[in-house]
This record gives sequence, structure tokens and C-alpha cells, in this order.
Amino acid sequence: MTPLAPPLVAHPPARRLVPLLVGLTLLAPLVAVFFGVADLPLGDVAAVLTGGGSAEARSIILDIRLPRIVTGMLAGMQLATAGFLLQTITRNPLADPSLIGVSQGATLSVTLFLMIAVYSHDPTPTTLVALPWSWLPAVGMLGGLVAGGLIYLMTLRHDLGPLRLTLCGVAMGALLQALALGIVAGWGSSRMEVLLEWLSGSLYARRWEHAVFLAPFTVAGLAVLPLLRRPLELLRFESTVARSFGSAYRRDFSAVLFVSCALAASAVGAVGPIVFVGLIVPHLARKLARGHFPLVLPLTVALGAITVTVCDLLGRLLGGADEIPIGVVTALCGVPVLIALLRRTP
Amino acid sequence: MTASRTAPPAGGEALRMPALTGLLLTLAALAIVAGLTVGDRTLPPGTVIDALLSKAGRVDTIVIWTLRLPRSLAAFLAGAGLALAGFLLQALTRNPLAGPGLTGVTAGAVAPIVVAFVFVPSLSSVWYPLVGFVGGMAAAGTTFVIASGRMASPLHLALGGISVSLFLHAVTIYVLLLSGPQVPSLLFWLSGGLQGRSWPQLSSMAPFVLLALAGALAIHRVVDLLSLSDGAAMGMGLRLTAWRPLVLLLAVLPVAGIVPVAGPIAFVGLAAPHIARLLRPPGSGWAMALAATIGGLMTVLADLAARSLAAPRELPVGLVTALIGGPVFLYLVQRSRTLTTEGER
Repeated sequence: MTPLAPPLVAHPPARRLVPLLVGLTLLAPLVAVFFGVADLPLGDVAAVLTGGGSAEARSIILDIRLPRIVTGMLAGMQLATAGFLLQTITRNPLADPSLIGVSQGATLSVTLFLMIAVYSHDPTPTTLVALPWSWLPAVGMLGGLVAGGLIYLMTLRHDLGPLRLTLCGVAMGALLQALALGIVAGWGSSRMEVLLEWLSGSLYARRWEHAVFLAPFTVAGLAVLPLLRRPLELLRFESTVARSFGSAYRRDFSAVLFVSCALAASAVGAVGPIVFVGLIVPHLARKLARGHFPLVLPLTVALGAITVTVCDLLGRLLGGADEIPIGVVTALCGVPVLIALLRRTP
Repeated sequence: MTASRTAPPAGGEALRMPALTGLLLTLAALAIVAGLTVGDRTLPPGTVIDALLSKAGRVDTIVIWTLRLPRSLAAFLAGAGLALAGFLLQALTRNPLAGPGLTGVTAGAVAPIVVAFVFVPSLSSVWYPLVGFVGGMAAAGTTFVIASGRMASPLHLALGGISVSLFLHAVTIYVLLLSGPQVPSLLFWLSGGLQGRSWPQLSSMAPFVLLALAGALAIHRVVDLLSLSDGAAMGMGLRLTAWRPLVLLLAVLPVAGIVPVAGPIAFVGLAAPHIARLLRPPGSGWAMALAATIGGLMTVLADLAARSLAAPRELPVGLVTALIGGPVFLYLVQRSRTLTTEGER
């Protein structure tokens, strides 16, 4: 049960990969700024970016495309990192942020919140009132954190073992999800689309508020990662081994769990649950790093940002006016890549 | 996820497993019979027993023999089959998060049915089980091919299965987005349910489930060894390249039979094997029997709740399984001491 262990001879592919990824991380958002549904000439976009441009172009670029790209990149980094941390400490390659109930807790709280908001303001389906959109990220994050905390406490009462955490998470997650779906089933038809859009995980109409909401979490989360490097390398092993290397198992486990919970909950609150990024991107990174463990985390962060940006761009371009949700594109594009990597590497 | 083989049960312990399985089976049978009284038309127990014993052509008899009884039996079989598939996959991948979805069969059966529903409306729904079966087998084949790569490790199987599932799930979602007005009826089927299932559907899935159950119980010693580790299994003289595909096939079979009939029923396949294991069975044979019984009981109860709680509307059965099974599962996880040793080892 040590699928994450590196082979004995670690071959550092860093020399080729790092410049490539840094380049891609910079290039992807740039390309995403230049292309979109509204056909802006490249010159106009360049003019806006350098501070000029027409009012219309400025509004399209600065108020629609840029905030969306930035939100996507931040959320992608956070989800991928959270997934990687969880896969490492539970020693389970199938772990993702939904394992600690974050996605389901967020889903339940957003569902409840929207239902109360819709039905307290808007008893008939014919009138439209402004819904409290700006509250959604905070509500989702709170729900995710509460669910994660609940699962943590249930595990903490005993031994804080990875298996107990996994099983508690699975059961709790299913329970919360079922409650949310039950509410959806009894919802009625009034403005259901509001909820469905959030549930499918989307970057549609994300504004600067979302990016500003996410930024502190991204910065704080990435800033503590270097501190977590040593605990992470030890938490990959079974707890007795980790302890024998001098790891304060309970403290380290809790710290990593908290970081991943906070990263995932804030990202899910802002963009909804995007399954693929948290689950698969860490594996892509691991395959690319070829067992060179210190490289996996930076690769995960970079690939998270790149995947979301590129896939969102594809979804916007290919879908035309009805864009394809990011969750669908990430799975459709990312899975063949992962399968190819699985076939090639041992 | 090692199957911890404790010392051979002595004295009263020897009877624990048969007694427990028997008790759960009795409970399931009681739930099925009690469920016959509940529904749109409440029948007193006496009428139910009369109708069960004599096949006279009264309305009550028809209600029971063509609506309620086959439906409950189908629920039991579906739950048992999914639980068995989940158990085999958890043993094979040695991953506690493995479930029937990991074969790719569920997503593989759902995707072509949704595509047919949306793009080929002329196709009669009679063909859907066949379409779902072919799709499920194709997806399982893909998972096979990925999993039997150079190393064919449990990790490959788990990642391959989840990749195939995610891909097909994304296709399903996209088609749903394209389809527009038909979404509600599709969504209901997608959440799984046994509404209106009768003898033909039951007999179409029974062979798959029973065959897989018999096969799995026949090779329970192999399952024991596979759930240890590759090294241990090979050391005991097990040919992994031959047995692993066979066990995977046994896990695919019940899902391929169930999903086209009942849709994807969530949670049973994942939780029932764990609940069975938390009851400390002495080996894989009893664990599988227990898991299948628990899965069946869970689904029968969930189906009963799904059709009676919100009557005349129906709740999705997958939702109720989580509501019923979730708390039980959490309670057992909280109570279990064996988990401590497993987690700490």
C-alpha cells in the first residue's frame, strides 16, 4: 500500500520540465485572454493590456475574461494541491477533496442557502429578484469547513488513522450529498437552474470578487507548503515508520488535513465542485515527475492552474454561446492524457 | 485493506457467522413481506398472505405478484450484486474507496443509454438494457486493457477504472446539457430506482448476480490471498496474471446485469462490504456472503422507503440507501477497534 513511493534511483527530470511548465503557466492565461466568444482583434487585446484600447474592449477583457481566468487559475491550484495533500496523507490514490466531505458539505449548505433565499424572496416563479450571489462562496466554504471539521472530530476521537478518516469521510459525504439531493428533489421548479449551474462546477460569470475571495487562501496555502515539505515526506509512510523518523504524527496529520480542507473548501465555494482537478491532476504530476518526490508538489500546483485555464478556454471556444462546463472539459481532455501515461509508465 | 485472518473461531464463535447471516436474511425476508402491505393501496397482512398462497385473479393478487413482490426481490438481488462487486474490487485494488463504479461498467452503461435517449428517440426503450449492457462491457474492456498494462498493479486498475468512469460521466453530463427538455425524466433514471420493475427485468439480471455470487464464493480462498499483497499472493503460489482478470470479471458481471435494469444505485456497493468487514468475518467467504446480504437488506429497505415515504411520488433509491446506510456505517466505524490496528500498522 505504498503506491506513492519513489523508485530507488530517482532520475530528476527537472531540467527539462521546470522551464516548460513555467512557460506554460505564463502562456496559458495569455492565450486565454486573447481568445474568447467575442472576437476581438489581437491588436485591441494587446492595446487593453498595455493600458489603452476602446471602452468596449476594456470591459470585455478587464471585467469578463481576466477575472474569470484568474479565478480559474487560483481555484485550479488550490483544488490540485488539496487533492495531492489528501492523497499523500491518506495514502490512497483515489482520494480527492470530496473525501473529507468538503464538496458535499458545500453542496448542502449552498442548496439550503439558495432555497431559503429563493423562497423567502420569491414565492412565485414569475417574479425575479436579485439573489445574494456574493454570499455563495462564503456559504459554500463554511459548509465545506464544517463537514471537514466534523469528519476530523469523528476521526480524532479515536486514532486519527488514514483508514478511519477515509471511511468516515465516505459515509459522511454520502449522507450530506443525499440530504442535498433530497432537498433538490423536493425543491419544486422555482429557479432550480440557479442551483444546477453551481452544482456542475463552472467558471461562468466569475468576477473579481471571486478572485479576491480566493487570493488570500491561495497565497496562505502556497506559503505554508514549504513548511509542510518534511511532514509530507514522512506522512507518505505508515504512522509507525513516520514516528520512528521523528514525525509528530498527530500534529503533522492534522496540520496537513487542515490546510487541504481550507484550500478545497474555499475553491469549491467559489467555483463549485470540479472533480477532475483534485483527483487526477496530482497523478499527472506524479507521472511526469517520475518518482522524484520533491518535484511533485510544484508540478501539481502548476498543472492545476494550466489544466483549468486551458480547459476553460476550450470550453468557451468549442461550445460557442452555450459554453461547455469546465468539469466536463477537464474530464474529456484530461482522462486520455492520464490513460496514455498509465499505459506508458510502470 | 488486508483481510485480517484471526485465529480459527472456536466454540460459540463458530456459529457467529451463520447466525448473523441467517439473521440478516430473515430480516430481509421480513422486510420484503412487510413491504408487500405498504403502497398506494394498503393491504392488511391477512390479504397479503392469502394472495401469496393462492394466485386467484383478484386485484390484490395482481398488485402483489406483478408489482410489489418482483420489485422487492429485484431490490434484494441488485443490492447483493452491487455489494459483491464492491467487495471484489476492494480486495482486488486493496483500496477502501473502490466500488462498483470503479469497473467503468456503471458509467459505461449509463452513457450510451443517455445518448440513445437524446439522439435516437425512435429507439424503443425495450432495447435500453441491451444498449446499457453492451456499453458497460465495452467500458469494462477498456478498464481491463488499461489495468493489464506493463505492471498490472492494483494502482493501475484503480486509476484506470476511475479514469474511464470520469470520462464517460463527463460525456453523460454534456449530452444532458445538450438535451434540454428531457432532462428531468433522465435525471430520475440516472439516480437509480426500481419503479415498475417486474419479473422480466428480475429474470434478466438474476443470472448475472447469481453466477457471480457462486463464482466468488467458489474461489473465496483466492480472494483471501489477493487482498493480502501481490508478493504474499505469489508466495502462496497464486498466478496473478490468471486470477486477477477472473476476479475482475466476477466483479463486472453483477454490475453489468444490474445497471441496465435499476440504474446506478449509489453507496450500496461501497458501504456494504465495509459494514460486513466491520462485523469481523473470519475470511473472505463469509465476508462476501455477509456483504451480499447486507447490500440486499439495505436496498430492500431503501426501496421500501423510496416508494412509501413521499407517496405517490417516488424518491430516488440511491439517495435513501445513503440516508439509511450512512448512519449505520458511521456508527460501526466509530465503534470498531480493528480499524485502529489497521490504521496504526
